[in-house]
Amino acid sequence: MTHAPTGSHAHTGYHRYHIPTKPAPDIEKWPSRFKVKVRRSGLAKLLLSEVFHYRGRKDVILSRPCMYGVFSGPVGGFMPREEHCVGCLRCTTEFPEFVRIEHNPERQKLGDSYFTFNYVDQIAYESSSGLVPVRGAGYRGKFGGEGWDGMWTDMSEIVRPTRDGIHGRETISTVVDIGYTPNFLQFDAAGQPVGNTPQTLSIQLPILFDGGDLPRGGQAAAIYARAAAELDTLAVLTFEQAIGLGQYARAVVPVLRPQDAARLGQLGFVPRVVEMHGWDDALHAAITAAFPEAIIALRTGFEDTPALVAYAQRGVKVFHLLADFHGRSPEGGFVLDLIRDAHKAFVDAGIREEVTLLGSGGMIAAEHMPKAMICGLDAVAVDTPLLVALQARFGGECASRTASEFVLPARLSEAWGVQRLKNLAASWRDQLLEILGAMGLREVRRLRGEMGRAMFMKTLEADAFAGLLGYTEAN
Amino acid sequence: MASIANKTDEQLIVEKHITNLHNGFAHWPRAEEAPPALGDSRWTQDLILATWLMAETGQVPDNGLEYKIGASGGGFDVLDFNIPSQDKWLPADTEIDLSIPLNRRDDGAQLKIDLPMYGGGMSYGSISEHVMQARARAAQQLGTFTSTGEGGYPPSLVPYKDHIITQVATGMFGVREETIQYAPIVEFKYAQGAKPGLGGHLLGDKATDVVAAMRESVPWVSLFSPFPFHSVYSVEDHRKHVDWIRTTNPRALVSVKVSTPTDVDMVAVGSYFAGAHIVHLDGSYGGTGAAPEIAKKNIAMPIEFAIPKVHKYLVSENVREEVTLMASGGVRTAYDVAKAIALGADGCVMGTAELIAIGCTRCSNCERGRGCPFGLTTTDPLLQQLMPADWGQQRIVNMYTAYATQLRDLLRKLGLRSIRELRGRRDLLRYVG
Ligand code: SF4
Ligand code: SF4
Repeated sequence: MTHAPTGSHAHTGYHRYHIPTKPAPDIEKWPSRFKVKVRRSGLAKLLLSEVFHYRGRKDVILSRPCMYGVFSGPVGGFMPREEHCVGCLRCTTEFPEFVRIEHNPERQKLGDSYFTFNYVDQIAYESSSGLVPVRGAGYRGKFGGEGWDGMWTDMSEIVRPTRDGIHGRETISTVVDIGYTPNFLQFDAAGQPVGNTPQTLSIQLPILFDGGDLPRGGQAAAIYARAAAELDTLAVLTFEQAIGLGQYARAVVPVLRPQDAARLGQLGFVPRVVEMHGWDDALHAAITAAFPEAIIALRTGFEDTPALVAYAQRGVKVFHLLADFHGRSPEGGFVLDLIRDAHKAFVDAGIREEVTLLGSGGMIAAEHMPKAMICGLDAVAVDTPLLVALQARFGGECASRTASEFVLPARLSEAWGVQRLKNLAASWRDQLLEILGAMGLREVRRLRGEMGRAMFMKTLEADAFAGLLGYTEAN
Repeated sequence: MASIANKTDEQLIVEKHITNLHNGFAHWPRAEEAPPALGDSRWTQDLILATWLMAETGQVPDNGLEYKIGASGGGFDVLDFNIPSQDKWLPADTEIDLSIPLNRRDDGAQLKIDLPMYGGGMSYGSISEHVMQARARAAQQLGTFTSTGEGGYPPSLVPYKDHIITQVATGMFGVREETIQYAPIVEFKYAQGAKPGLGGHLLGDKATDVVAAMRESVPWVSLFSPFPFHSVYSVEDHRKHVDWIRTTNPRALVSVKVSTPTDVDMVAVGSYFAGAHIVHLDGSYGGTGAAPEIAKKNIAMPIEFAIPKVHKYLVSENVREEVTLMASGGVRTAYDVAKAIALGADGCVMGTAELIAIGCTRCSNCERGRGCPFGLTTTDPLLQQLMPADWGQQRIVNMYTAYATQLRDLLRKLGLRSIRELRGRRDLLRYVG
């Protein structure tokens, strides 16, 4: 028997999972980040004085502070090209009397009160470039806060035998399994497995696309499905959207409601996974009959954890748990706590290993994904960030899954949209790898429920500041 | 006019922009309204402008600029000092000592610094040589240190070698026998707060011929420092590193720079047992180099939480008096320094504040195009000239001079004669969040 030389995979068919990224610039012109205001009389005066002072030395006179082309249009500073401004403030430092740089309030209106323009900016960068956002000059935001901002992930200072050790990021696995795994296997006398056996499928990254509450069908659904198929993940779509997307059958997860029980055949393909929008006996029976091999997930809220455990004991093994788009439950709980509670409920019931928990709602940045997994999710089904990647505009506050309005660009094309989603997925995956690499974990499955590798502001602050005058736990 | 005629276009361009910039740095702190797009929660408009003013004058701002805290809503920004009533203050002419020893063990040189601060590592290539020179000369003038970062030791720094810490990081870029031998202190960078667990990264655009030569690498190719030291699996392995340095340079003190994971206290004690003189904790909110945004906010804990954790643990292990604990990563002001010390550090390592003193607006464009438009984090030959080393030196010295005034004033009001007496005095702090 011959072996391929180490490191050569030419004959093994081996290939490493890789998301091909490609620039996919905005198709919709969004307001520039900065307003560049130049008082023309001041500029004219400066030019005149420089012409005189530098005796017509053209290159000296025309040497302007901006390195980014804002003043390089045909009439220079008389008509600044604001879209190029990166807010370095060199111009206003050099010419405080007549140049003023402001944040553009129109830009700041993008998104809504939860999906703020900073998050929109970030998603726009990630989905247009496929890159990890990298900037200099340290952190600029608030110290901590509620929710995701009050949580930090751990890192491993040295290589330790007790941890996975460090790996090249390219060899960290982001594969997750969706489905049912029994706590233990049973075998008969002949050594054959009996009873419950695992029923899972693996996807290449812990990111699903959730369009289950997409306001309308149309092109977005096809974009979600094709991008998911090309990424080897899943796109959750309404029944109506899923019809006709049989070419992406591997990737499409239709969301089924009781009224769909009688028309499952219309789907036109056999899905690998389906979601039931709330439990319904008749629907469950119909799905089982029509798609006996399909994994059936229950799409429901986070909040009623005893009910979730009861469903699991009745045979539901995959849960797609929903908060609203701002990450809230109807009672006002935040998704980070909702995930922890749901995860803990299954741990307490001794069946966490048997079930898969997917979650949606309020997870709008790359860092929310590993944090959600540390809190207990197996994978995140991303919702509003996909719309932002497709340059959808928010119609006011968009918290509700049923009553929010998102306006997609009129010029939306499938090829562009697919690339934007692939870029976003690549960027988020690479950022996940940064987190996993720092923690010394070699696969994302080990992240789930790793609460010991998380730090929470309340606890850290209490440890650090307890005993100081004025500090109470209530702080 | 003769002088204009005799100068090249490049000279005139550089002079023109330098003059304009210096006017701007002087103008804005005194203007009625700050530049609207300046500042963020951590470095507010006021903090940046106050730093510019201190760097210009060497004085504590008295024009209403908030120079003590930012608006981050946590950490140092929700701590204040319990200042006793005036009758308990020390007399105005009391000598207040701001020096701290850097070696509390009984081996190696007994180094001390005149201020409880030194400059953090910023590498050749990530910042301009002018900036390095400014920092080194300022360190010499102030009786403290600055660190090379992981990029080598340009020959122009050798005259200041008694004030320069040589950094040894995971990529070993620019580490040579002589640069270890120059160093009064050698700093092992295990991790850095802005990108804990991620190693370093110099973009190809910055790896010019000169930078690459210094790093013994290929020009215009991105350089990655891996994470972590792949030769270190244990405290014993770490000890081997320390021994290696001590063999090369027996008089050097060893500093170990680590980030702030959940078990930062164990890491600190491990470093002590491996022979470190200085344990340098680098929290997650600082840093001047390029870092993934996801790392800055989300990985490892802020320095305000790490200091007391480590201090307490070193005390409980009965080794606190043998370790110099330096803190960095989001230490922005003299008051942050004092708070860090009251929480348990011996002193602080400063980075961003020095860059702001020499003109940084914190715009975060360091890695874009030709690099910093103010000539700081760039290797562009023209841009570098915007920050002349002698100007930068004076600005940094001035800033620290104003810091020293604030620290002395604070200590006097707290009834302390030495900054060393402030260490771990949590009773002097209050929470105002
Ligand atoms: S702020 Fe910077 S990028 Fe914007 S116009 Fe001024 S110099 Fe150009
Ligand atoms: S690019 Fe901006 S943030 Fe970076 S050093 Fe220059 S001024 Fe500071």
